[in-house]
Amino acid sequence: MLLPIFGAGLVVPLSRVSERARAIGLTLVVALAAGLVALLIPGVLRGEIYGVRLFQMTPTISLSMRVDALGAMFAITAVVLWLLAVVYSFGYMADEHSTNRYFTFLMLALAWTLGVALAGNLLSFLVFYELFSILTYPLVVHEETPEAMAAGTKYITYIIIGGGLVLLAIMATYSMAGAQEFGSTAFFNADLSRTALLAVFWCFIVGFGVKAALIPLHGWVPDAHPAAPAPFSAVLSGIMVAAGSFGILRVLFNVFGIPLLKELGVAVPLSAIAAVTVIVAAILAIPQDNLKRRLAFSTISQMGYVIFGASLLSVSSMTGSFVHIANHAFMKGTLFFCAGVFIKRAGVHKVSEMAGIAKRHPITMAVFTLTSLSMIGTPPLSGFTSKWYLGLGVLDAGKPLYLVVLLGGALLAAVYLLPIIYAAYFKEPSPVVRDLLAKGSTAEAPWTMLGPLLAGTALTVVLGICASASGLPLSLAKLAAETLP
Amino acid sequence: MGGGQWPVVLIITPLIGAALTPILARRRPQIAGYWALFVFSIVTLAAGVLMYRVSTQGPFSYYMGGWRPPLGIELRFDEFSASIGVICLIGWLSLMFSLAYAKHALPERRIPYYFALVLLCLGGMNGFAVTGDIFNLFVFLEILSLSGYALVAITGERIAELAAFKYLVMGAISSLSILLAVGFMYALTGTLNMTDLAMRLRDVEPFPVAVAVGALTLGFSVKAALLPLHIWLPDAHSIAPSPVSAILSGLVVKIGVLGMLRMYQILYKAQIFDLSALNTTLMWLGAISIVLGALFAMVQEDIKMMLAYSTISNIGYIFMGLGLASKYGIIGASVHIFNHALIKATLFLGAGALIHQTGYRNLEDLRGVGKAMPITSAAIAIGAISIVGIPPTAGFLCKWYIALGAIEAGRLFFAVTLLFGALFIFVYYIRMLNAFYFMPPAHPEILDVGEAPVTMLIPIVVLAMLCLLMGIFGRIPLSFIEPAVTNMLAPIGG
Repeated sequence: MLLPIFGAGLVVPLSRVSERARAIGLTLVVALAAGLVALLIPGVLRGEIYGVRLFQMTPTISLSMRVDALGAMFAITAVVLWLLAVVYSFGYMADEHSTNRYFTFLMLALAWTLGVALAGNLLSFLVFYELFSILTYPLVVHEETPEAMAAGTKYITYIIIGGGLVLLAIMATYSMAGAQEFGSTAFFNADLSRTALLAVFWCFIVGFGVKAALIPLHGWVPDAHPAAPAPFSAVLSGIMVAAGSFGILRVLFNVFGIPLLKELGVAVPLSAIAAVTVIVAAILAIPQDNLKRRLAFSTISQMGYVIFGASLLSVSSMTGSFVHIANHAFMKGTLFFCAGVFIKRAGVHKVSEMAGIAKRHPITMAVFTLTSLSMIGTPPLSGFTSKWYLGLGVLDAGKPLYLVVLLGGALLAAVYLLPIIYAAYFKEPSPVVRDLLAKGSTAEAPWTMLGPLLAGTALTVVLGICASASGLPLSLAKLAAETLP
Repeated sequence: MGGGQWPVVLIITPLIGAALTPILARRRPQIAGYWALFVFSIVTLAAGVLMYRVSTQGPFSYYMGGWRPPLGIELRFDEFSASIGVICLIGWLSLMFSLAYAKHALPERRIPYYFALVLLCLGGMNGFAVTGDIFNLFVFLEILSLSGYALVAITGERIAELAAFKYLVMGAISSLSILLAVGFMYALTGTLNMTDLAMRLRDVEPFPVAVAVGALTLGFSVKAALLPLHIWLPDAHSIAPSPVSAILSGLVVKIGVLGMLRMYQILYKAQIFDLSALNTTLMWLGAISIVLGALFAMVQEDIKMMLAYSTISNIGYIFMGLGLASKYGIIGASVHIFNHALIKATLFLGAGALIHQTGYRNLEDLRGVGKAMPITSAAIAIGAISIVGIPPTAGFLCKWYIALGAIEAGRLFFAVTLLFGALFIFVYYIRMLNAFYFMPPAHPEILDVGEAPVTMLIPIVVLAMLCLLMGIFGRIPLSFIEPAVTNMLAPIGG
């Protein structure tokens, strides 16, 4: 379990030998990590829980790792998306500068993400979470343009404030409930002072909410995504933002626990915030002309779904919420890969320049269409699965009014995604595209970029059609929803 | 008592070594560095033995010439004295760094004096850490301060003399006030021995003691550069040769804090009056230091100036921890004494290597140096991450403990200040790292500069590794500090 984490960090310096060796070596390491995580899944599904205590930092602080259903789901999602992103990067980054730095930090980020997914207590969670937030800074500013630097500064400011709040909340948790491992019981019990519990709760939510881009705290997301290289945008959107949501899930279910949440009555305001996030972010996405910026707002909206589902506290809504982390990761990853192809191969950054681009990039555009449909929630694609469970959950929770949020979000997703597709297929080519077509150069990307693109789409389809197959995220999400305290 | 004489070795060896340095190196100044390194190796060895002993057997005392206190001079080696571990480590590495650095930065005839002064300063610190009586405390403080003034001035630049003079004036005020306090204590109790003092202070009038405590606090705060008394620090630390900056910033400033700890040790034992007013003051000054120090650091262009202000900010953390007066707060403060020493030494030596190789010291001029000197820059980056307190580096532990102490003491506001002070600190370090890594060089020729010589590189790398390891293996310093703090807070006789 630990080997890939450290192996991942070590490979880059070793494979400086040649570009090719680096490509093959890194792919192998990530694939190995993916294999190892996949190996864990059957056991997790049988209800086993693996735990390792790494070491004591001090008498009161220890780092430990633990694999449960929720963590395993997040881990497998992360590692598979990473595999795609790494392969894609070899194509995308081929003519970029400082690729060694880029790959080193990309691999390190994977290691920390796995750490976040498999952390066994709050402190280990924090350690990996912070490492991963801070050490991705070089990836955000990779382009080294003034916009990228500005986005990076914004990113780091948001993240540090969020991290500070999380740290504060974790300390309060320690002083109130002592050092505890994530497990089948929640940390807090109802004897503690209500005010303190509320304060800690909101501290956690705001802290992680920055990362999860809950709406008043989302400022960094739309700037960081367009500034970063496309494969990293994919990971940023699919996994990093989701890590914030994952943190909120841990807080909701492992730290507080459902009974206490009900008693404190905090789930209702949280779900309201999430609902606002879903709708407002989707509305904000509509007028964006920069493709990656539009996708970034879409991410904010989709993460709203995750928190929304979790805060309804019914089993099916939680299942929907958990599985949406995985589904969204692949969908959004693929969309960003597409955006990367347009940027790299056609020099197109803006939606308005995309008219007619389907003629030049038929495969990419087909993939984009399919994934967009999934994002909107068309059956039988994976986006539909999560929405279906979320919808069931809303009904279970007896709040049919919230169905409006779900459907509204989907509708708005259609409003911000479908015009792109319409323009790409049916509109007269924009000047940029006309020039490109006139040149008549072969258009589609190299296989290293197209491969991950197609694989991502395939996953979107598979996760939709065979959603209930054992071992796929849905089974893990169900298990997690049923076993959490 | 086998090995009982080791504490004497700690003090005498560097002092004698220092006195011999100029004589030995009269013909060939280059030899001075190796001699100093050799002398200090012996001292470091002795420190290692003592640390091992105190960790297995607990605190012990050595009486000079066999005379027992209150008449004789007692050298007492307890857990706080274990700070010699850090003193020796950083001293040794700085000396090693100096071998190549001094050759370049100093006029040749001054090199022997440079090494003699460094030895003197380190010897003074060792003495300060192990002495058991307050008059000797003062004597050692003077030894290390005087050599410190001289070291600031040693480059011979005009501005260096000015900085040293400023340092000297402030230092003299602080020394006087400490001497005054020592006189008061002696007049009141008739003893200079710390343990005795704690016993006898119980029976005396509290008011004069309060004056003495005030004078001590003032004196030590100047040495430690707590905020309104910090004005000497930025110039002195940025002008001094880099290894000296590392020693001054990492260690000498901490001597002030260590002095405070010793004072608290006595006061907690004596329990003569309520310390809450003093604690509150320290806490607030600490909080203000954190924020203002960071704000000043943010606007600096000179890399060493920035590091110097960062020291002020970090001293704020330590004083805040002390002022919280809760167990975790004091543990956090003590851990920060150790860890900040390591971190700041990494940063100053790293900065020294950059300046040595490139000849530039402004951030703007240093742009792109990350590509030219990858190892040094990486070490600085680790130091920066560590000082901000990103887990799991060394700085995180301190932040964790001090903030936990604030929560424990019911002062949430300070926990918040502490955590958000880190935000400011991060802003200026990120500015530095941006310049190193992500900006096009202002001077293209900087890309052709190579790494520093090995004797400079090794100390930097070792310290950077320690910054990481001390976070992960935080229980090592804690195994000294935790019992010390528990002892300190427990009143005499249970």
